[in-house]
Amino acid sequence: MACTTHRRLSLTTAALTLAALALPAWSAAENPATSSPAPVATENTVEQPTSAKLRIGISIPAADHGWTAGVVWWAKKAQELYPDVDFTLATATTPQKQISDIENMMVKGIDGLVVLATESAPITPIAKRAHERGIYIVNVDRGFLEPVADLFLEGDNKAFGRKSAQFMVDRLGGKGKIVILEGIPCTVNSDRVNAALEVFKQYPDIEILGQQPAMWNRQKGLEVMQTFLVKHKKIDAVWAQDDDIAMGAYKAIKEAGREKEMWMLGGAGMKEVVKMVMDGSAMFPANITYPPSMIATGIHMAVSNLRDGHRAPVSQFMPKHLMIDVELITPQNAKDYYFPDSVY
Amino acid sequence: MIQDKPNTPTAPTFRWSDFFETWGGLIAFVALAAFCSLFPGTRDHFLNPENIRNIIHQNSFIGIIAIGMTFVIISGGIDLSVGSMAALIGGLSIYAMNKVIGGMESEWMGVVAACVAAPLIGMGLGLINGLLITKGRIAPFIVTLGGLAGYRSIILAMADGGEVRSSSMNLFEAISSPRNGIPLPAWHNAAGDQVSMSITWPIIIFLLMAVIAQVVLSHTRYGRYTIAVGSNETAARYSAINVDRVRIITYTLIGLCTGIAALLLSSRLNSVGASNTGNLFELDAIAAVVIGGTRMSGGKGRVWGTIIGVLILGMIDNVLVLADVSTYWQGLVKAGVIILAVLLQRSRSEN
Repeated sequence: MACTTHRRLSLTTAALTLAALALPAWSAAENPATSSPAPVATENTVEQPTSAKLRIGISIPAADHGWTAGVVWWAKKAQELYPDVDFTLATATTPQKQISDIENMMVKGIDGLVVLATESAPITPIAKRAHERGIYIVNVDRGFLEPVADLFLEGDNKAFGRKSAQFMVDRLGGKGKIVILEGIPCTVNSDRVNAALEVFKQYPDIEILGQQPAMWNRQKGLEVMQTFLVKHKKIDAVWAQDDDIAMGAYKAIKEAGREKEMWMLGGAGMKEVVKMVMDGSAMFPANITYPPSMIATGIHMAVSNLRDGHRAPVSQFMPKHLMIDVELITPQNAKDYYFPDSVY
Repeated sequence: MIQDKPNTPTAPTFRWSDFFETWGGLIAFVALAAFCSLFPGTRDHFLNPENIRNIIHQNSFIGIIAIGMTFVIISGGIDLSVGSMAALIGGLSIYAMNKVIGGMESEWMGVVAACVAAPLIGMGLGLINGLLITKGRIAPFIVTLGGLAGYRSIILAMADGGEVRSSSMNLFEAISSPRNGIPLPAWHNAAGDQVSMSITWPIIIFLLMAVIAQVVLSHTRYGRYTIAVGSNETAARYSAINVDRVRIITYTLIGLCTGIAALLLSSRLNSVGASNTGNLFELDAIAAVVIGGTRMSGGKGRVWGTIIGVLILGMIDNVLVLADVSTYWQGLVKAGVIILAVLLQRSRSEN
């Protein structure tokens, strides 16, 4: 008995290995055109119905800070809505990994691809290849360099920087000493910070005391803020642009006993911070959205634009470019942006 | 039997290279500190006692891990898993604490549970690394590279990619809070205000562990065996040293250090970010050890050097912010100081 089980196990392993090795053949066998059910064990061992399921690949950056963790969470959440769709989710730490992820999905034979690119430039060629194969592409947040996406859903990082900076200037009455906490040096960060700096520069009485990277990370936010607090005896406001950083910096301010002296603007709508805004915190008078849920919007669009042969008719009216505005969260509207069970 | 300084005792001739090999790290440290105290961009704040306290406090977590790393590197090994391991241990300890607080409704018991769990889990994970390396005969680089990916993956899955949040209100945070610790006598600063400050618990634990580790390294049999294994494993084996046991103890030891650091760090943030807590700690710890004059290939090293290495790295981070150096240039400044520090103390044998 034990021996049989063992043999069956090793057979299954062999079959799985074969399946993995013969991926191209496997996907061809499952192509609706050939229609004969493949005799190999599929990954989830679900019988394929005769009319093939819609297959959608989702390729996103791996969770390396709070916001990307939110993206992964929302991507899973959106998948749960469509149990009848065959999703493949892959997370990548680098563009190289993301390219191989998308290549693997293409081998598997996907109908649609939802991509939040780790970097724009390196992902463009592979997106182009997918596009040329007729795969429906929804590009979320970071745009490709060529117009290969069927739908581009863009978060507006420049507006993020501009609007949050303008809020800060207005609340300070155009006059005050601020410090800037930046994220990981990359395009997203530069877009936000440069747009904010343009606003701050128009107000000569806004003095930027310091501008340092805090890596979208709580520990760094705490440590950099501690140093700022030693160096600057008077700070009116902290432009932190990300809520992980803001939470770390908040801790440093509390420990220094200087909560009364300054207030802070984080960003991206972390649930703890939105809660504080909602409760009328003096430290967090507002927040600014940059919703990680935009990946869910993209997945939803991909499914509804592709299913039941909708692709051709939908393409007649679906815009190619949708810009997701960033919104200011204030105590009045905070409850609309509060998701207590989200990871972010 | 094992001589870690073959020339110095018999050769009375003074050589600058020997002098720098021993004291280069310390000279680099003093030079950097002097520069920071005089440079116009940083001199007003660098020597502020609170700033110095912050530097040591912020780097005590890495420092504790680097102490363990010193032993691993001296024994001829490497441990790349410590950053991920710290996130996993911190996360698991907070889960344990939340469970106890929820079940027994006692915050005290919960915090005690975390304090017991963290070092034990750390030793357990270190032991696994050690067994895979010795009994499994897999290179330390590979085993711990696996740990780097694997431990992070476990905590990401458990926390759903998000944060593990402590349900302790104040007590857990109190361990690593800069407001607690052994208070120094109050004094008056230049502005005439009365200032008081504490030497925090992480600093105390870090320095205490450093002293114990230096004593273990230079005055116990285990310490001498570690050096022997690292300088010539075959010779050590022929001298009837149980090489596998020395290795296993070494990896368990760094696991213990990582456990303690993870506990203090998660107390500091009262949470663990599954995705970013402990990121790149392994490289900082290895850098600190090498800056401190421990030989990368093993067989030679010192704990006090590592402490200097940690403080040099911490000082760089601190003055970059104090001097408000542009984000993009920070890496180059850091690289320059690290290379200079190591260049100062290179030994002739390694040229």
